[in-house]
Amino acid sequence: MFPGRRRIKRRYFFGCRTYAKYSEYGTLFGFFGIRISLHKNSLADILSEKEVMRVNFGKINTPDGTRDSLFSECTDRRRIRGALMSLFASRSYCEVMTPGFEFYDLFVRAEDPIPQESMFKLVDRSGRLLVMRPDCTAPIARVVATHLKDAVYPVRLCYDQAVFRSEAEHRGATCEIAQCGIELIGADGLRGDIEAVAMAADALAAAEAPDFYIELGHVDYFGGLADELNLGRERTEELRHCIESKNFALLDGLLKDYSGPAARALRRLPYLFGGEETLDEAEALAVGERAHFAVKRLRDIYNEISPGKRGGRLRFDLGLVQHLGYYSGLVFRGYCTGAGSAVLAGGRYDGLLSDFGCELLSIGFAVYADTLAACLPSRALPGTDTLIYYDDGCLDSAVELLSTLPPGTAELSTFTELGPTLALARRKAADRVLHVSKGGISEVYVNE
Amino acid sequence: MSDNLKIAITKGRLLEESSSLFEKLGADCSAVRKPGRKLVVPVSELGLSVVLAKAPDVITYVEHGVCAMGIVGKDTIMESGGSFYEVLDLGFGRCRFALAAPAGTDFLNGWKTRTIASKYPKVAMEYFRSRGMDVNVIKIEGSVELAPVLGLADGIIDIVETGSTLRANGLEIIDTVADISARLIVNTAAMKLYKNELLGFVEKCREALT
Repeated sequence: MFPGRRRIKRRYFFGCRTYAKYSEYGTLFGFFGIRISLHKNSLADILSEKEVMRVNFGKINTPDGTRDSLFSECTDRRRIRGALMSLFASRSYCEVMTPGFEFYDLFVRAEDPIPQESMFKLVDRSGRLLVMRPDCTAPIARVVATHLKDAVYPVRLCYDQAVFRSEAEHRGATCEIAQCGIELIGADGLRGDIEAVAMAADALAAAEAPDFYIELGHVDYFGGLADELNLGRERTEELRHCIESKNFALLDGLLKDYSGPAARALRRLPYLFGGEETLDEAEALAVGERAHFAVKRLRDIYNEISPGKRGGRLRFDLGLVQHLGYYSGLVFRGYCTGAGSAVLAGGRYDGLLSDFGCELLSIGFAVYADTLAACLPSRALPGTDTLIYYDDGCLDSAVELLSTLPPGTAELSTFTELGPTLALARRKAADRVLHVSKGGISEVYVNE
Repeated sequence: MSDNLKIAITKGRLLEESSSLFEKLGADCSAVRKPGRKLVVPVSELGLSVVLAKAPDVITYVEHGVCAMGIVGKDTIMESGGSFYEVLDLGFGRCRFALAAPAGTDFLNGWKTRTIASKYPKVAMEYFRSRGMDVNVIKIEGSVELAPVLGLADGIIDIVETGSTLRANGLEIIDTVADISARLIVNTAAMKLYKNELLGFVEKCREALT
């Protein structure tokens, strides 16, 4: 009933898993409450309890799926995001920022690609359900439908903001995902597609992504073929899943009772990825108006883009069939060496804006800036090699001197005397101390 | 094939069977069969490195792209999920997920909420959800058959090969939840970057299996 302090401490150190179980059953606070009230015997006890509680209440750890970024990690990411945003600005895309959290209802759609369980939820003061922004496109659609409904279209928007997704624990996934992207709203089909694909290629080039390429697909290819077979909604979804996961064996099983050209094309669909030759094969296999339209559209995009400098960057995957209810035409992904998943994703989503009462054709994409940063060599930051020590009344000259030196290589001494400044310089392994006085600047050697 | 392509393989029976498959493809797998303490073993004939891993880790390595391919049981895929291409049913490592309960119980009918013990809570939840049944699922790490014997659960969902363990503990199979075998999985980005190599390897495996 009254175990000693030592024993309690051991209990506190059970580890996260045990705490998760306690809190799951709603007894965590009761558990702590009882223990603490029973054993506040001495100051030492209370302090050690606090020590323990600090560790366990997550003051020193960040929540799962989040992390701190320091120094060169920050500058590496800023460089990429800066390159992307200045590219977007140079093509007259105007930046918008949307709230970090919004009403849950905004993100609930019949065919939404964001499952409910992956949104972080909050409750506002009147009890309404909010979520941390899980996606940038729906808020921008809202912006368009409210603030920009009388604008002259097309409208070009871009953004640089994080989205939050609750990912499974301990799988190395981050919950806070930096996205830099564009939305081209109210643009005619083909030219809109071409502009977005060219922008995607330019974005990865501007970010210096290694050996990147943009892979194009079109939802009407699969959609058209599935229409031909007249499968029910459920079978179509099964089929889509097989093609998405390139599950060749299961696909053959699902299609074993079907013959004819459409079934043959669907069987071949998981293999329909690669260079321009993919389009020839896709065209030969296509059945029906929708599938032919999809191939023609992809070829038109390719023909416009490939003769130029982005020529070698385009590839195709007709088996790109994720989120069919969301995307309505062209879909594309960007890959680069060093990333195990796509670093860019986008497509045409003509239906999203009509949910807000705007019949506008739209296309957009987002670059996963942090995933991309992880593929690039980090640029190490310079270390301090100079300390600036200044006499009373010389602050202005000292700051002026500091601003002439390369960023990160010099810093002001925080001491009023030279001795401690020199000692600090030695500890920081700085080569020199510059002494700023009324008479001018003189160099003091650290190792004299 | 590019020298740095790695294939993660589940240690144990799947590794044995995979070695036999690679031997059919003309590889010398003696080092894979007896790796000693090594965890990465090159198979130069196939231009691959074999990475020895536990089943859920195979998926993790493939998902993150540090291994281009993996060989893992469908049971692990069903439980862990993840995003990768599941390109080939290798046909070995066959068994099934089954629902079992003490002999003589009418498990699927009645109004009472059932309690299910399983090492695979996600598989169990999805199975009952698809049947429109509301159940409690308790995760058990070891011998799941114990749970109904001790009265903790009304039934279990577990991997069954012969069913002899079930019978020895007074349980009988009520339904097959899913058939299981080893699968060849491929990282999505690697598939695009090394299309010819990877699809070539998949084809070779498929031919060797038929």
